[in-house]
Amino acid sequence: MVGSRTGSIGTTLGRRGFLAGAAGGIALGTLALAGCATPGQAAAGGTTLRFYEQKQEVIAYFDELLRRFEREHAGVSVVHDSTTAIAPQFVRGQPADVGCFNDNLELARYVERGVLRDLSDLPSADRIRPSIAELGDQYAKYPGRVSVLPYSLAAAGVIYNKKIFADHGLPVPTTWHEFVDVCTELQKAGITPVYATDRDTWTLWQGLFDYSVGSLVDTGEFFRKMKAIGPDVGPDSEVSFEQTFAVPMERAKTISSFFNPDHATRSYADGNLAFGQGKAAMYLQGPWALGQIALIDDKLEVGTFALPVSNDPADRKARVNVDLGLWIPEASAHVDDARDLVEFLMQDEVIDAYNSDNLAYSTRKGAPAQTDERLAGLQQYVDDAAFYQGAGTFIPTSIPLGNYLQSAIRSGDFTSMLRRLDADWRRLAGRSATV
Amino acid sequence: MTMQTPLARETDQPAPGPATAATRVHRRVGSLHRTEPMYYFFVVPALVLFTAFVVAPACVGIFYSFTDYLGFGAWHFLGLENYKALVSDPSILASYGFTLGFALVTVVVTQVIALALAIGLTKKVKFAAGLRSVFVIPMVVSGIVVAYVFNYLFSNTLPALATSVGFGPLEQSILGDPNLAWLSIVIVSAWQTVPGALLVYTAGLTSIPNDLYEASALDGAGAWKQLRSITLPLISGFIVINTVLGVKGYLGAYDVIVGLTGGGPGTATSSVAMTIFGGFTGGDYAYQMANATVFFIITVLISVLQLAATRGRNLRLA
Repeated sequence: MVGSRTGSIGTTLGRRGFLAGAAGGIALGTLALAGCATPGQAAAGGTTLRFYEQKQEVIAYFDELLRRFEREHAGVSVVHDSTTAIAPQFVRGQPADVGCFNDNLELARYVERGVLRDLSDLPSADRIRPSIAELGDQYAKYPGRVSVLPYSLAAAGVIYNKKIFADHGLPVPTTWHEFVDVCTELQKAGITPVYATDRDTWTLWQGLFDYSVGSLVDTGEFFRKMKAIGPDVGPDSEVSFEQTFAVPMERAKTISSFFNPDHATRSYADGNLAFGQGKAAMYLQGPWALGQIALIDDKLEVGTFALPVSNDPADRKARVNVDLGLWIPEASAHVDDARDLVEFLMQDEVIDAYNSDNLAYSTRKGAPAQTDERLAGLQQYVDDAAFYQGAGTFIPTSIPLGNYLQSAIRSGDFTSMLRRLDADWRRLAGRSATV
Repeated sequence: MTMQTPLARETDQPAPGPATAATRVHRRVGSLHRTEPMYYFFVVPALVLFTAFVVAPACVGIFYSFTDYLGFGAWHFLGLENYKALVSDPSILASYGFTLGFALVTVVVTQVIALALAIGLTKKVKFAAGLRSVFVIPMVVSGIVVAYVFNYLFSNTLPALATSVGFGPLEQSILGDPNLAWLSIVIVSAWQTVPGALLVYTAGLTSIPNDLYEASALDGAGAWKQLRSITLPLISGFIVINTVLGVKGYLGAYDVIVGLTGGGPGTATSSVAMTIFGGFTGGDYAYQMANATVFFIITVLISVLQLAATRGRNLRLA
């Protein structure tokens, strides 16, 4: 519904989990108190750092890390807080000393305005894989600065039910034709090929839209050009939604014909439940859904593959996002300690352990593979840097992409949707919207 | 700040020594022409809080609607740019269309239902007291909770019922149908706001003296004639209050829509309040402040028009 268009593990669950949010709020309250009560602060002249982090599922995890940091750095105590909203801290002029947030279009606003400090001289900055380091720059870059250090990379594809595939002798599709064949076979067998949850509109753009586009269009390049063309985007410009996304949206239209009949009224929670109960063969969701599915049936054998949308298997790519990135605001009063904390978190064994424990990928060069069986199908794409950031993540939330997709799926008219996206893009660019 | 003087004077009063009863009375009479200082005690705190937390932020917001402010950092003055962009933005215009239409329909539906219930409950219906409490229950449940409960009913229960009795049109949830989704919002909003209106009407109806009905009955007036010639004219003031408050409330519709449709399917049920809020999360702060300013003016205009159109025959008996 409302909320930033991030598709991160943290926000997707946080946004949806009404109760989880409340529980998180209570948890962070206690943690903040715990932070204040640490001996580090009691010591006279000690520094208190504030660490803001976005993911509610990993509050306890980070809290343990921070306590370890305090033990190693006498005189420094860290207050640990969790929020999905970046704006209020900056509006108040009191941003955290270290932020650990999803690197997306929202964070890009802060990068662009230069309120985040340059971290390029940190030793850990050189250890990050260049192909991952440049992902954030696709949204925004402040000249001459490394504003955000990618900490955790999440990769997403099609989650599939291995048992259903095996029972019907179906292969994991590697081309678009194979994918359609698989769907048709499943449909004949009376099984829902793809479970969709239109009610939560973010699931439509992060799955159907992003996957259909990602392997056919270089999203970083496309949106770089779209920004340059701005108010002149249209059917005749070098790139446009209408032109460039025409084929991808044909794919999306076909895929949507394989949805569960009641997709229009199902929510994300319904989807996790149905998929966990084995009611559908495939599910266009990211790793954040795996934990929810396991809550329904932790014996369910699931795997992940990158959606093939062309007939050349080599075109396949995985959708990724920088699920957590570390940054230090210009306004921080304890820069040296903040940098120590970043360096502490970026240590090889710390960053690798975090990512392997949380269904994600470490961002440093030579990081070990993600060993979780459910994500094994995506490892190759991450290793080869055959990945893209979802097209939907480049579109500002002022354009209600998810809602447009709802209509398009219903009417089957994706072309009008693309024209509307172009028109909205022109309008946003025209009124010099700060996106 | 100007209130300081009379306040101080009032507290000073006992100090000058044993004033006679006569002078005290004299002073009281004199102060009748001024406002009784006591009233300032009631008004000032509210006024200060209202100014600090409503008026001042609103003025700041209106100011920023002329800029490209993000909520933090530097900004530039844009003049009327945001406003010009507003009027050519189809999604904004659509949200106004939806919100106004929804407010109009819902206020009519709510008033008719509430009035009918109120009339029924003030007549000698069996279990009237018990029924009254039942009807008031929706008032005490928060909007978002109501919306989520109805969401479940519309998405699951109703289609399942319709399927079991073979009623085609309702087998698919109306929440997924862009032409019907607004109905669900009208239904839930009405369900939620009828009790409030019902209470006001009940108060209005009990204020009508019973002899009027008795006299008219002697003259041969039937129930319908009584309703048209006695009840409705005498409670017209209450109808105005309910309509004005109702329209104002429905124009700001937010929680019920978020819980039911999230503005969808497509953008079929996106209200103005939702688009405004979207601006805060979407980095479109200044633009949506312009939208909010326009919306504020429209809401004020509608309320003033409503009051003006009904002035003269309202509230006299209330």
